[in-house]
Amino acid sequence: MKARCCDKLVTAWAWLSGLVLTASVATLLGFLLTKGAGTLSPALFFGDTVPLDALLLKRQVFEGIFPATVGTLLLVGLAVGMAVPVGIATGIYMAEFAAPRTKAVFGLFFDILAGIPSILVGLFGFSAAIFLHHHFSGQITPCLLISALSLAFLVLPYLIRTTQTTLENLPRHVRMTAPALGASKLQTIFYVLLPQSLSGIVSGIILSIGRCAEDTAVIMLTGVVATAGIPASLLSGYEALPFYIYTVSAQYADQAELMRGYGAAIVLLAVCALLFALTAFIRHRLADHLLYGAR
Amino acid sequence: MTRIGRSLYGRISISILTLLLIGVAPAVADDLSPFAGQAGTIKISGGTAHIPVMKAAAKQIMQRFSDVRITIAGGGSGVGIKQVGEGLVDIGNSGRKPTDEEITKYDLKMFKWAIDGVGLVVNPKNTVASLTTAQTKAIFAGSIHNWKAVGGADKAINLYTRDTASGTRSVFWKKALGKGEISAKANVVVSNGAMKAAVANDPYAIGYVSVGHMDESVQPVALDGVTPTLETVKSGEYKIARGLYSNTKGEPTGLTKTFIDFLFSETGQGLAAAKGFIPVK
Amino acid sequence: MRSQGLVQGLLAVAAAGSVAVTVLIFGFMIVLGLPLVTSGTFFNLFTSSWLPNEGLYGIVPMMAGSLFIAGLAMIFSFPLSLGCAALVAVLAKGRVPALLHRLVRFMTGIPTVVYGFAGIFLLVPVVREWTGSGSGMCILSASLLLAILIAPTMILFFTDSFTGVPKSYLAAADALGATPVQKFLHVVIPCSWRGLTTGVLLALGRAVGDTLIALMIAGNATAFPGSLLDSARTLPAHIALVVAADFDSLEFRTLFACGILLYAFTTLTVVLTRRMVADKGGAP
Repeated sequence: MKARCCDKLVTAWAWLSGLVLTASVATLLGFLLTKGAGTLSPALFFGDTVPLDALLLKRQVFEGIFPATVGTLLLVGLAVGMAVPVGIATGIYMAEFAAPRTKAVFGLFFDILAGIPSILVGLFGFSAAIFLHHHFSGQITPCLLISALSLAFLVLPYLIRTTQTTLENLPRHVRMTAPALGASKLQTIFYVLLPQSLSGIVSGIILSIGRCAEDTAVIMLTGVVATAGIPASLLSGYEALPFYIYTVSAQYADQAELMRGYGAAIVLLAVCALLFALTAFIRHRLADHLLYGAR
Repeated sequence: MTRIGRSLYGRISISILTLLLIGVAPAVADDLSPFAGQAGTIKISGGTAHIPVMKAAAKQIMQRFSDVRITIAGGGSGVGIKQVGEGLVDIGNSGRKPTDEEITKYDLKMFKWAIDGVGLVVNPKNTVASLTTAQTKAIFAGSIHNWKAVGGADKAINLYTRDTASGTRSVFWKKALGKGEISAKANVVVSNGAMKAAVANDPYAIGYVSVGHMDESVQPVALDGVTPTLETVKSGEYKIARGLYSNTKGEPTGLTKTFIDFLFSETGQGLAAAKGFIPVK
Repeated sequence: MRSQGLVQGLLAVAAAGSVAVTVLIFGFMIVLGLPLVTSGTFFNLFTSSWLPNEGLYGIVPMMAGSLFIAGLAMIFSFPLSLGCAALVAVLAKGRVPALLHRLVRFMTGIPTVVYGFAGIFLLVPVVREWTGSGSGMCILSASLLLAILIAPTMILFFTDSFTGVPKSYLAAADALGATPVQKFLHVVIPCSWRGLTTGVLLALGRAVGDTLIALMIAGNATAFPGSLLDSARTLPAHIALVVAADFDSLEFRTLFACGILLYAFTTLTVVLTRRMVADKGGAP
C-alpha cells in the first residue's frame, strides 16, 4: 500500500515537472511569437529605406534591425574565425600529444575558462581596450575587433572540449589501422582521425556560433552601441541583435520600437533554432555518412 | 494639362507654392551643406536625454551624405564626460554642466544647445497629480512608502531612480531633493527611456525623467503647484531645469565642429524643439 | 620527422596560448584591483553599504543578491529538473522521453536575452498582480526565470547519468520485482549521485554567473535585500551597471573585487566537479 502511494506520488511529480517545464517554455516563446508575428516583414529590417539599397550598402537603415543583424553576423564571423584555428589546434594537442600531467593541468585551466561568467570576459576585454588605448594607440577603443576577440576567448573552451572529446572517443581500430599501413603520426591525425571527427568538431563550431550570436554581456562592455549603422571598420562601434533586444526592452521610445523589439527577439530565436536543427542534422546524418559510407 | 493647371487660380497657386519651396528648401539644404565633401566618423556618447535629437540629426545627415557616419551610445552624463575626456569618443553629451574639476582635467569645451527640465512622473492610472517638495523628499528617502499618505490608493510606492552616472539624477537630487537621501531600495534604471518605460508599465511607480521625454505614457506630477511642461520650464516657473550640453576635448575641429554647428543651426534647433526641448536660439 | 616537430610545436603554442588567456584574465583582475588594497578600502568592501557619493563601496548587498537569486533559482529548479530527467530516462514510455529530451536540448540554445525580454513583459506584471505589492521587479521574478534558464543544464546531466547506470543493476532490481519508481529511487539515484552533483554544481555556477536575467528583471536596487519581493542587484549586474563609472576611480576598481569573487566561485565549482569525475574512475 505504502509502496503504491509512493509510486504514484513520484510518478505524478515527474509528470508534473515535465508539464511545468514544457508549459513555461511554451508560454514564454508563445507570448513572443504571438505578439511579434505581425512585425515580420521587410519593414522590420529596413525601416523606410529601400531594401535593395540597404543590402548593397548604398544607404543606411534607420528604424530597422538590418544594421544589428549585420553587426551580429560580422561579430560571429570574426570571433569564430579567430577561435576555430586555435581551439581545434589545442584540442588536437590535448588529445594526441599532451603528456598526462600536462593534460590534467591544461584541462583544469580550460574548464575554468569555460566556467568564467561572460561578464568577466567582457570586463577583461574592456580593461584591455582601455589599457591598449592608453599605452599603445589612441585609435584603439572598445570596438568590433575587441568584442570579437573577447567572444573568441569565451567560446575557445567549447571548441577545445568538443575537438578533444571527439578525438578521444574514436574507436581504437580506427587509430590502429593507418599506422599499421606505415603512416606517420601526423598523417594519421590529418588523413584519418580528423575526417572521422568532423561531425563532432562541426557540432562544436556550431555551438560556438550560437554562443557568439546570443551573447550580450560581453558585447555590452566591449563596444556595442545603440546606433551605429553598418560598421565602417574593425575599430568602429557596431550594433548587434541581442543588445538591440536588451535596449528596446529597457527603454523603448514608442510602440513601434517595442514591436521591432519583439520582431528582433523572434529573428534571434529563429537563428538559434536554425543552428539547433543544423546540429541535429549533422549529428544524425553526417556522422553516419562519414563512418559507414552512404546509407 | 491638368485641370488645376488650366485655371488661372491653379497656376497662381502652383507658382506661389513653388516660390515658397524654393525659398524654404535652401534654408534646409544650407544647414546640412557644410557636411558636403566631408568624410569620417563621429562618435557620440553620454546623456540619454540627448539621444532622440542625436538620432534625428544623424538620420538627416547620413541620408544626405553617405560618407559621414555617426555612432551614438548612451551611458549617462558621467560616461559622456569621461569618454570624451579620455578620447574614446568625439562628442560627450551631458545633461548637467560639467564640474570645474572635469573641465580642467579633460580640457572640455561645452556647447549648450537646448534647455530641458527634470520632472516627477507617475503612471497615468495614478490619481496623485501633485506633490510638495517635502512630500517628494520623504517619498524618495523612503519615509513615506504608501500612496495613501499622499492622497492616492492604499498601495506601496514603487520608487525608481537613475544610476550614479546620470546627469538627470544629479540635477533632480540637487534641485528637487536638496541633496536629500535617495533610498537604496529604489529600483535602478539606466536611461530616461528606461525610466519612462518602467513608470509606464508599473501602476504604482514614481520616478523622474527629462521633460522632453514625457509623453502620454506617463503623467507629470506638479511640484509645489507647478507642472513640469515645456511652457513652465521656458517661462522659468518650473525651477528644475538644466541645459543639454555637448562637450568636446579642446576646440572641436573638422567633422565634429560641423556637427556641433549643425546643432545650433535652424534645422538643428528645430529638431531639438520637435523632440520636446527648448532651443537656445 | 622535422615537420612533425614543427606541427607539434605549433599545436603546443596554441594550447599554451589558450591557458595563457585564462591566467591573463585572472591576472588583470588582481593587478587592476590592487589599488583597493593599497588605499585601505579593501575591508570596506565587505562591511559597508554601497554609497559611492560618500566613498563607501561595500559590495555585500550585491553578494547577498547573487546568493538569494541563485539559491532560490536552484531551489525551484532542482526538483523540476530531477522530475523531468526521471521522466525522460526512466519513467515515461513511447514518444514522450524523446520529445522532452529534444525540447530540453533546444532550450539550451534559447538566448538569455530572449528569456529576459519575455520575462519583463509577461512575468513581471504577473508577479506584481499576484503578490499585490512591489513593482514585480524582484528576487522572486528573477529566480523563477533563472530556474527555467538553468533547468536544461541539470536535466541533460541528470539524464546522462541515469542512462549510465549499469544494466545489470536494473536487471537485478527487475528480478526482485521492483516497480519502475522503486528502481528509480533505490537503484538509479544512488548510482548517479556523482552526475547529480556535477549537474547541480555546473548549474549553480551558471546561475551565479548569469548577468542578463538579474539585470533586466531584479530591479537593481543597492540595498541589502530584505524579502523575496525586494528589488536586488547581483554581482554580474553590478559590474554591468558600474562599468560606466570613471575608469581610474575606486568605484570602478571595486568591479575587479566583484570579478575576483565570481572567478573564485566558478573556479571552486569547476575544481569540485573535476573531483567528482576523477573519482569515478573506481567502482561506482
